Amino acid sequence: MRFWEISKRNLKELYRDPVALGFLLGMPVVFILIFTFAFGGQATRPISIGVVDEDQSQISAAFVSSLEYIPALGVVSPVFQSQSQAEEKLDTGGLSIYLLIPRGFGEAVERHQAIDLEVAYNQADPILSQRAVPVISAAALEFLKIPIPLNIELREREVKLKDEYINYLVPGMTVFGLMVLITSVGGIMVRDRAKGFLSRLMTTPAKPSDFIFGYTLPFIPVIVISVAIYLGVGVLMGLSIIGNLGLAFLILFIMGICCLGIGMILGTLAKSEEQASAAPWIFIVPLAMISGGWWSVELMPSVIRSIAEALPFLHAMDASRAVLTRGVGLEAISYDFLFLVGWAVGIFAIGVILFRRSMRS
Amino acid sequence: MTSYRVEPARVKDETFAIQTYQLTKVFNNLVAVDGIELNIKKGELFALLGPNGAGKTTTINMLCCLLKPTGGTATVMGYDINQQPFKIKKIIGVSPQETAISEHLNPQENLNLIGKIHGVSSRELRIRSQQLLETMGLTDRAKDQVRKFSGGMKRRLNIMMALIHNPEVLFLDEPTLGLDPQARRAIWEYITQLKGEKTILLTTHYMDEADFLADRIGIMDEGKLVALGTSTELKINMLEKHTMIIYAWNLTQKVINEMRSKYAEVEVTGSTMTITDKKLDFKEIVDLLHSSGATVRSAYIKEPSLDDVFLHITGKELRE
Repeated sequence: MRFWEISKRNLKELYRDPVALGFLLGMPVVFILIFTFAFGGQATRPISIGVVDEDQSQISAAFVSSLEYIPALGVVSPVFQSQSQAEEKLDTGGLSIYLLIPRGFGEAVERHQAIDLEVAYNQADPILSQRAVPVISAAALEFLKIPIPLNIELREREVKLKDEYINYLVPGMTVFGLMVLITSVGGIMVRDRAKGFLSRLMTTPAKPSDFIFGYTLPFIPVIVISVAIYLGVGVLMGLSIIGNLGLAFLILFIMGICCLGIGMILGTLAKSEEQASAAPWIFIVPLAMISGGWWSVELMPSVIRSIAEALPFLHAMDASRAVLTRGVGLEAISYDFLFLVGWAVGIFAIGVILFRRSMRS
Repeated sequence: MTSYRVEPARVKDETFAIQTYQLTKVFNNLVAVDGIELNIKKGELFALLGPNGAGKTTTINMLCCLLKPTGGTATVMGYDINQQPFKIKKIIGVSPQETAISEHLNPQENLNLIGKIHGVSSRELRIRSQQLLETMGLTDRAKDQVRKFSGGMKRRLNIMMALIHNPEVLFLDEPTLGLDPQARRAIWEYITQLKGEKTILLTTHYMDEADFLADRIGIMDEGKLVALGTSTELKINMLEKHTMIIYAWNLTQKVINEMRSKYAEVEVTGSTMTITDKKLDFKEIVDLLHSSGATVRSAYIKEPSLDDVFLHITGKELRE
């Protein structure tokens, strides 16, 4: 249990250093507050949306009425009878987005069949669809009360289904916040090396795996607390959690583990504290951007998207968003989930190999 | 320059705790350690003496299995540094040049960390750490975080951490670096207590430290082991010249010229005359000075120091 002794030491070093601990745990709160105040939350103006009710049933009318009570939506009156009327408005700029309730909606609701909705929007304003579609999704689920498969199709298929912008933002910010761990783990390892403490430990019978676990385990509580803070503050700022919170927590936790692994490799390879603590920010912020931290990767060139897909951040953001705000289960996000688990295992295996080499250069 | 033979060390011998065989380390194009051959007996306190950059720490780091040799090998208590590094790590204690301690932990916690990694039981650990804290005068501060400690206290803890698991071989890399004379003396006294109990390899660039502590001294320069022996052996055997210092009145030019005609080097500063030559006869010089008209008040043959030895061997002074 040598790793446990190293781990205990690192945990003590962490919680007895108020500046480092404040940075690690305070940062999530600052991030989420700034971003939600700036880009999301309750203060956002309602989305002005047109509604086309082709079904003309009592159920569809009731659904439209329910939409009118959603504070985040401003349903344009009157409700359009046909799609052509709404499209004309859209083309002339009188409307930026509309929702089409197709024929058979009421019947499908009664029979508990899959329901198709369509959202058409002005392509010049893709962010609007990102904000509106999840609100409609949440409203529909609230209206239906029971989990009927709901499919909202975007007309141009430009943007995938996402939640209200704060719902989009919080998982992205959580993953971005977890990326702070990369510099924290790397920093503590490089600091110990610079001060000769790591070398001292390397003269003991501790094995590479003892070091890897010894330096990463103390950050497990930090991951748990950080994710709790992010989601907690997110809820306070308007995040609506529809799905399984535990599953979302698990996804974000595994993401945190991946960050620890990356940080550990950084700490093994970096030559100075500056390299481990400051330089990674050059990559972290762009990586969060291209992984969909603030806006959809669908808007980015395919090369950038390919890079994002090879890394775990995009998968963690997509999967946690899907679980939190669309209520999907593990099966629906199995690819992203397995990708994350694979990444975590792989990065730790690479970490052990690299650390073993660094133990005797 | 005179060439000095280093001990051959080709045959494994159980009387030796450390044996090196053409031990070499090259960093890029820089030869840090150049084919060192060294035998250190069990229970011996051996000092590697040399200026910064001589290769002392690199040698220790190879013996502690932190650095892989570029060439050659070494054994520590019979275990090969290339083949059995973890066996060696179990039986050695290392006090690095840096005060490698955990700043937010207290001394007790620092000792527990190293002790438990070495598998020392909690009971044994408690007894040993109490003894060490008492010996090193840190009992009163056992529960204080070490970041508040003075340099001397940190150095003492640094050494305690190397001893907590009762190692067979102890490596002390510049154990008194940067300490004031009083703190250095306290550490010397403790190291002296360990002599004979453990094999100790100590590196230093302080001549007096090596002189005071070591059973034998190896002088390193530019990666090479250039001299080896006890302090006395090094001083006696390696000095070809002797120096006599005379304090006298009436050191006229006539007297000085007469002395210069007989001895290789004669320097006069005020009333002090320094005579250096391969052979000096105390009585002969005093008589000569008297007969020339000078009045000798005091005179002595200067004992060679390790500084003189180092200067003589390497052609340069060992600076702190």
